[in-house]
Amino acid sequence: MSTPTHEVPRDETVTRSRFSWGWLLIGIAGVILALGALRTVTGADDVASAGTMGAAVRAAMPIALAGLGGLWAERAGVVNIGLEGMMILGTFGAGFAGYQWGPWAALAFAVFMGTVGGLIHAIATVGFGVDHIVSGVAVNIIGLGAAQYLAALTFTGKPGGGPTQSPPVERMPTFDIPGLSWAGRELAQTDLVFLTDAGAVLAGLTTRVSLLTVIGLACIVGTWLLLWHTSFGLRVRACGENPQSAETLGVNVYLYKYSAVLASGAMAGLGGAFLVDDASVYRDGQTGGRGYIGLAAMIFGNWRPGGLVAGAGLFGYTDALRLRRGGESVHALLLLIGVGLIALAVWWLWKRKVAQAGVTAAFGVGLVVLHLATDSVPSDFTGMTPFIATLLVLGLASQRLRMPKADGQRYRRGEAG
Amino acid sequence: MRRSAKIMIAGMAASLVLAGCGTDDPDGPDTDPGTDPGTSEVKVGLAYDVGGRGDQSFNDAAAAGLDRAIADFGVDSTESSAIDGEPESAREERLIQLADAGFNPVIGVGFAYAGAVAKVAPQFPDTQFGLIDSTDAMGDNIANLVFPEHEGSFLVGAAAALKSETGKIGFIGGVNVPLIAKFEAGYAAGALAVNPDIEIESTYLTQPPDFSGFGDPAKGRTAAEGQFDAGADVVYHAAGGSGLGVFQAADTAGGLAIGVDSDQYHTVPSELQDVILTSMLKQVDVAVYDYIKSFIDGSPLSGEVVFGLEAGGVDYSTSGGLVDDIADQLDEFKRQIIAGEITVPDSM
Repeated sequence: MSTPTHEVPRDETVTRSRFSWGWLLIGIAGVILALGALRTVTGADDVASAGTMGAAVRAAMPIALAGLGGLWAERAGVVNIGLEGMMILGTFGAGFAGYQWGPWAALAFAVFMGTVGGLIHAIATVGFGVDHIVSGVAVNIIGLGAAQYLAALTFTGKPGGGPTQSPPVERMPTFDIPGLSWAGRELAQTDLVFLTDAGAVLAGLTTRVSLLTVIGLACIVGTWLLLWHTSFGLRVRACGENPQSAETLGVNVYLYKYSAVLASGAMAGLGGAFLVDDASVYRDGQTGGRGYIGLAAMIFGNWRPGGLVAGAGLFGYTDALRLRRGGESVHALLLLIGVGLIALAVWWLWKRKVAQAGVTAAFGVGLVVLHLATDSVPSDFTGMTPFIATLLVLGLASQRLRMPKADGQRYRRGEAG
Repeated sequence: MRRSAKIMIAGMAASLVLAGCGTDDPDGPDTDPGTDPGTSEVKVGLAYDVGGRGDQSFNDAAAAGLDRAIADFGVDSTESSAIDGEPESAREERLIQLADAGFNPVIGVGFAYAGAVAKVAPQFPDTQFGLIDSTDAMGDNIANLVFPEHEGSFLVGAAAALKSETGKIGFIGGVNVPLIAKFEAGYAAGALAVNPDIEIESTYLTQPPDFSGFGDPAKGRTAAEGQFDAGADVVYHAAGGSGLGVFQAADTAGGLAIGVDSDQYHTVPSELQDVILTSMLKQVDVAVYDYIKSFIDGSPLSGEVVFGLEAGGVDYSTSGGLVDDIADQLDEFKRQIIAGEITVPDSM
C-alpha cells in the first residue's frame, strides 16, 4: 500500500491487458472442462445444463450492475455502500413506470431513481464531506423507506397491485442469438465430453436473452472503455488515487466525483430495473441484499470490471445451482471444490508454503470425504452455497487486492498546498 | 362521520345482512337502538405478517375477512404490518401498542406472531388474542386459528399426479419452516395415493431467518425452471409472492402449476391463467371473520380452532376448468379424509 503510487497501478494495467484474452479463453475452457468432468463423474446433470446457465446469467446481472455502480464510485474515491438503497429506488422506479408505460419507460425511470439516490450520496460525501459509510447507510435507509412509502401511495388499489406490490410490468423482449443458440443446442445433443457441455453453456447463454441483459453487458464494456481508455476515465481514476495531484494538474475533482457517483447510482438503478423485469413485478424487499453482494463482487474483482463480472458470475452460478436441484448439484460441487483445493495445496507445496498447503489440503480432503459419505446436501445448507463459494475464493485471492488509494477519504479543494 | 356517509354504511350493512343468508340475527351486535344498526363498539386490531395488506395472498385473505366484518358489524379497526427482517421485539411492541390502545380482539396474522402472542397475551388478560396458523402460544385469552393445510395439499397433490404425464411433479416452498413442510407432506401423500411410483422434486427457496423466499419471484422462477427441466410437468408452490415466478416458469415450459392460499386463477395476470391447474384454498378470511363474529356474539373463540375440509376451511379450486374431469376422484378423496378413512401426514 505504501509503495510509490504511480508505477504500481500502471504496470498492473499493462501486464493484465496484454494477457487477458488468452487467459480468458483458457479459463473458460478450463471451467467448462471441469464442470463437464464433474457432470460425467457424479451424474448431476444440472451443473452444466443450458437451464442453469440461463438462470445464472439472470441471477448475476443485477449483482454485476450493482458492482459496476460500486466501481464507478470507488474509482473516483467515494465508498458507496448505499448501492442497496439506490437499487431499491431503481426497483420502485421500474415498477412505477413499467406498469403504466412499458419496459423502456421502466428502464429510464429506474435509472433516474437510482441517479437520485446517487445524487444524495454525492451531495453528502463530495459536497459536504460527510463520512462515506454514514452517508451510504443513510441512503440505504432513505431508499428503503421512500420506496415503501411511494409504493403504498401509488400501487394501492391498482388492479393486481397493492401497498407492497406493483401491478404486473411488461417484460423487455427476449430473443435467441441466431446461429449460436441453434449450434449450442445441437452440440448439447451430442455425446462428446467437452463439446456437449460447451454446447449446453453456449445454448444457455444465447437462448431467450433479454434485451436488458444486452444493455447490461454494454454498460460493463462501456464502463471498461470509458474508465480505462479515455482521458475522462483517467481523470476519474486520478480522483480516486490522488485527488490532490489531479487538482494540481487542473482537474475539477468535484465535477468528476459528482459525475462518477451519479453514474454509480444510475448503474445500481439499472440493476433494480433488471430485477423488476425478471420478476415482471415490483415487490417490497425484492433486492434482498444484492446491492451489498454487488459491492462484494467488485472487491472480489479487485476494483476492475472483468474481475467483478467473474465475481458476479460465480455468485449467480452458485445461486442458480442451489435453487434448481440444489441437493444434488451442490453435492457434486463439493467434489469439484475439494479436488480444486487439493490441487491448490500441491501447488503451494511446490512453492514451499507448507502451512498454507497443509490447511488447504485438509479442507480439500474433508470436502471430498463429505461428498463420498453423503448422497445429497440438505436444503438447510444449500442456501449458503453462493456465500461460501464467494468467501472461499475471496479468502484465497484477497492477498492481491488493491483498492484505489484515496478511496473513502474526504477531499477539499485547495488542501493540496 | 357525516350523516349521509352514516346512512350509506347503514344501508350497505343492512343490504349485506339481508342478502347474506348466514346472519340470522341482524340486531345482535347492537346494544343501543339509537345509533345506526351498522356500528359496534368493538375495535379490532390486526397485525399483518411481512407483505401486509395487498400481498395478493395470505395477508390479503386476512384483510378480506376484516373487511367483511367491518361491512357486516361496523367494527372499528386498525391495521399494522411487519417489516422484512424486523426483530422479534418489534412484533411484541406492535401487539402491546394495539392492546394498550384498547383494541380487543387483537389478531396476529401468521405463525411469526406466535412468540409475541405468547409473551404479550398474559400481560393483557382482558384482551382476546387471535393467532393464525400456530398453536405455539396457548392460553385462556388466545384463540389458535389453524388449518389442516396438509389435507388441502393432499387434494392438489392427487390432482397433480392425475394430470402428470411424465410421472414427475414438483413442490416449491418459500421458506423451510414446519408450516410449509406441512404443505409438502400433504402434497406428497396425495400424489403417492394416486400413483405410488411418482417422483417428487422439492425445493425451498430460503432458510429461516431469511424470509425473502415468500416475496422473490425471480427465485421462484429459477427453482421452477429447474424442476420443469428435470422432467416435472406439474409444480405446486407454497411460496407466497414468489409463486408468480413459478407460474411464469410453467408458462415458458408448457407445464402446469398449482396456486396456494387463495384462488390464484383470479390473482395472476390473465396470460398466466392457462397454467393454473387448481389452487389449494385456505380460507383465512373465514377464520378472521368467524373469530370477530364470535367476539361480537359474546362468546369469543379460544384454544385451538381448526377450519378443516368439512367446514370449507381448506379446499381445492375449480376455476379455469382444468380439474373438471377429475373432480369426482378429488371429491372422493375429500370424503375419505373427512370420514377418517385416509389420515394425511402433517410432516415429512
